[in-house]
Amino acid sequence: MIDINERYSEKRNFFKRLLFVYIFFGILFLYLIYKTFSLQVSSFTDYELASLENKTREFLVQPRRGIIYDRNGKIIVNNKPSYNLILSPERVDDINILISAIKEFINLSDAEIKNINDSFPNKKKLNREVVIKRNLTEEEIARFEVRNYKFPNVQIAERYSRENLYPYLFSHSIGYVGNLDEDELREILLSQGLKSSETIFTYSGGFLNGKTGVEYIYDEKLRGSFGKKIYEVDASGRLLEEQQLIPAIDGENIITSLDLPSQKVAYDKLNFRRGAVVAVDINNGAIVTYVSSPSFSVNKIANGLSQKEFNELINDDNKPFFDRAAQGRYSPASTIKPAIALFGIEEDILDWDFTIQDPGFFVLPEDGRIYRGWKKGGHGEINLKDAIIESSNTFFFSLAYKTEIEELRDHLSNFGFGTNVCIDCFMPDDGLLPSPRWKMNTHNFGWFKGDTVNMGVGQGYINATPLQLAYYSAFLATKGNLNKFSFVQDKDIDKDIFISNNINDTDWDNIHDSMIGVIENPKGTAGRLKTLKDYVIAAKSGTVELVSTETKEDYKIIREEEGKRDHAIIIAFAPMPNPKYAVSVVIENGESGGSVAGPVAVAVLNSLIEND
Amino acid sequence: MINIRNLLRDKIYIDQYLFISITLLSVMGLIFLYSASQGNIETVIKQSFFVMFGLFLMFIVSQPDPDFYKNNAVIFIIFSIILVLLTLFFGKEVNGAKRWLDLGVFTLQTSEIIKVALPLFLAAYLYDKPLPINLFNTFTTLVLILLIANLVRIQPDLGTSLVILIAGLYILFLAGLSWRFIGISTGFFILSLPFIWNNFLEPFQRQRILTLFDPNADPFGSGWNITQSKIAIGSGGIQGKGYQMGSQAHLDFLPETETDFIFSVIAEEFGFIGVCVLLSVFLFILLRCLFLAFNARDRFCRLTIGGLSLLFLSTVFINLSMVVGIIPVVGMPLPFISKGGSSLLSFYIAFGIIISMATHKKLMQK
Repeated sequence: MIDINERYSEKRNFFKRLLFVYIFFGILFLYLIYKTFSLQVSSFTDYELASLENKTREFLVQPRRGIIYDRNGKIIVNNKPSYNLILSPERVDDINILISAIKEFINLSDAEIKNINDSFPNKKKLNREVVIKRNLTEEEIARFEVRNYKFPNVQIAERYSRENLYPYLFSHSIGYVGNLDEDELREILLSQGLKSSETIFTYSGGFLNGKTGVEYIYDEKLRGSFGKKIYEVDASGRLLEEQQLIPAIDGENIITSLDLPSQKVAYDKLNFRRGAVVAVDINNGAIVTYVSSPSFSVNKIANGLSQKEFNELINDDNKPFFDRAAQGRYSPASTIKPAIALFGIEEDILDWDFTIQDPGFFVLPEDGRIYRGWKKGGHGEINLKDAIIESSNTFFFSLAYKTEIEELRDHLSNFGFGTNVCIDCFMPDDGLLPSPRWKMNTHNFGWFKGDTVNMGVGQGYINATPLQLAYYSAFLATKGNLNKFSFVQDKDIDKDIFISNNINDTDWDNIHDSMIGVIENPKGTAGRLKTLKDYVIAAKSGTVELVSTETKEDYKIIREEEGKRDHAIIIAFAPMPNPKYAVSVVIENGESGGSVAGPVAVAVLNSLIEND
Repeated sequence: MINIRNLLRDKIYIDQYLFISITLLSVMGLIFLYSASQGNIETVIKQSFFVMFGLFLMFIVSQPDPDFYKNNAVIFIIFSIILVLLTLFFGKEVNGAKRWLDLGVFTLQTSEIIKVALPLFLAAYLYDKPLPINLFNTFTTLVLILLIANLVRIQPDLGTSLVILIAGLYILFLAGLSWRFIGISTGFFILSLPFIWNNFLEPFQRQRILTLFDPNADPFGSGWNITQSKIAIGSGGIQGKGYQMGSQAHLDFLPETETDFIFSVIAEEFGFIGVCVLLSVFLFILLRCLFLAFNARDRFCRLTIGGLSLLFLSTVFINLSMVVGIIPVVGMPLPFISKGGSSLLSFYIAFGIIISMATHKKLMQK
């Protein structure tokens, strides 16, 4: 038995220890309350936000791209609706019963049924829609509509695909759309203050952006802004109810300057030959016709192409993807002569009465090298005007011989050579306006006088795209007062105005007259175009020699191989005397500018002028 | 009338403060559970049966004289150990843990029984030992505590085994364990922590402890629970989102809403104000126990009241610390609030014993 004293001290000891533990826990409890307080009061807003983010799920709502029109309001690119049969799976218990009921009036393939069965459990869990059938026919839609009261969870959903109504006509001008990669998507969303998330698609093809042409250049305008749909979700991500909808803003429509009828004419006239046609309204630089041939279907590219079809296009020797209009480099050949003539006048080297004797060739005084004309025996005594009409090479060889290359170069760059002439074309090539420095850098050779002489007839190193040739043509037509080219005229552009010391209006008129003579004069190189129209056209044809030959017999051997035949080229503007349109046509290996490229140019001008 | 009341007072042993506050807590628990179970009335009905049975049990258990418990403590502990051993061999396996013994009408979580029986036994064993407790007694009791705690740990049930360990150590401490021994063994314990970490903890238990320090390291794995619990508590703010309005609880972000994380539901729906109300009820019960311990009739009663009330205190503290992210997730219900059979009943029994210890006066004093 324990005595009283010991019991007393035991009791005190016990109390001290129990209090010790209680106080220990008391402190811990204070910490606990402090911790709860800091969660609930101090950090309340953070956790409130976290709780809100937990239970809401934002969906992006894809906007519709703008419609693209031609200059007359004809739709070129549209959003074509297609109809899918979709199921809201939440209240469906047995998918097989539903499928067999639907199968009675809508044909479902085994693959489609398997697809539905595979995706159903997860979609039901998350309450996401299940696509039963894509691209319903009108008949299927009608058959469903009369029965839809039986299927409260099934409905028809509209989806779009991007459709060019003329898939081959505008392949290189309007271009095509395709799927975005992740970086592009992130960038686009970032520019709209959004971040990547699940998306309610408007297009059956998913995210789209412009890949080439107007679709690419004006992508920002066409694309619109994503909307948002906000749902309450539970922890498994299952959708509970829609809380908020911020509708997507559809992209802006774009009215281009392209002209559907002339585009058709150009495409038909090129008739799958390799070449390009560019025509513009000279008053504002609006591109009205822009065809590169051969072409390809943009719809197939945008909406899925089989690997085989793609390989065929890629490996096609005619390179249908290649945009010859903006990227094909061709020697301007004789079409450059009016510009060289104007340089002669500007530099006071000659006037309109100046004549030379043309024996059919030009001998370079420095080394005796011979530069031949196209006509054996030459054009005899000839003045500037006739030299343009008959396309005397000798005349222009000797004129170029008297020029300084750097000055000639500066002069030609005013006409668009070697520069970008378009503000909204897709990846335009600048062509080549050679200089002595360029030659030294690339060929490690100094500039010869002969190089300048060659440039006088548009041969040698100089080359230009059909787009630049059209600009050159329009520049001549406007007497040097021209806008940069564009597909969409929604901005103010300063005109490129040609400043000259010596060239006056009479000189320009004489140039125009000479170019009219190319067709109207019996000696003109494009005389056979005369009967193809009932107004006056100013033109200059050219024939690009790919292989240098001395005699016609030699060329006959060369032309056995199609790829070595001369390119046919022409620039033209009409109707004279008050021109409205300028055009350039290049037909690869077409041989004759006047008779092969010419009819295409005239047909396009006919279409443009008739439809005005 | 007066005679009957006096008669009742003499024959019926009840502490009205504890009885009222525990009933209050149980009723609050039922209300919270209705929301935490997504309005599942079946769960609430089942739980209210447990509550009523528990209160009844508490009343019954508080009637015998403390001597009854003192004299039979050995039988209780042996019986409990047998039950735990049976569980190890014949237990019902749920989620890889064998914690339940299927008794036909009722599956019994045997660790909940031994949780009460062990402190009782230790109090009965140590009450008449001279002070300070000698080394022999210290070691025998310590070995028993560790043995039992380990039996529960290998089920595995880390939470309960921890509580058993702590409850055992409280009794030792209250019974007069020498400070020197406490100092030395604490030192050893700290030194052996790396050993315990490597040999006594399951990989998932280690993961839980690691998660505590950086819940964001694994937000969808074991950090998920802590993160979601904190969001639930934090987003409750001062006033809470309203009864049954907690989105964390009702949209399934919060795990185990009916059991371990019911406090998070309360905090989300009733805010800091609700938390304070709930905690003050707990505090009242604990302070009442402290008062009863001070006024207990003998050393055995003091030790028992002290040990069992600290068992209760530790359980509450572990649960709350867990859900606010102070300690790792160990699986510990909130007494009288969380859904549960055995764990709930064990505390009614524990409080029944406390009331018995507190209300019976010594016969010879009469």
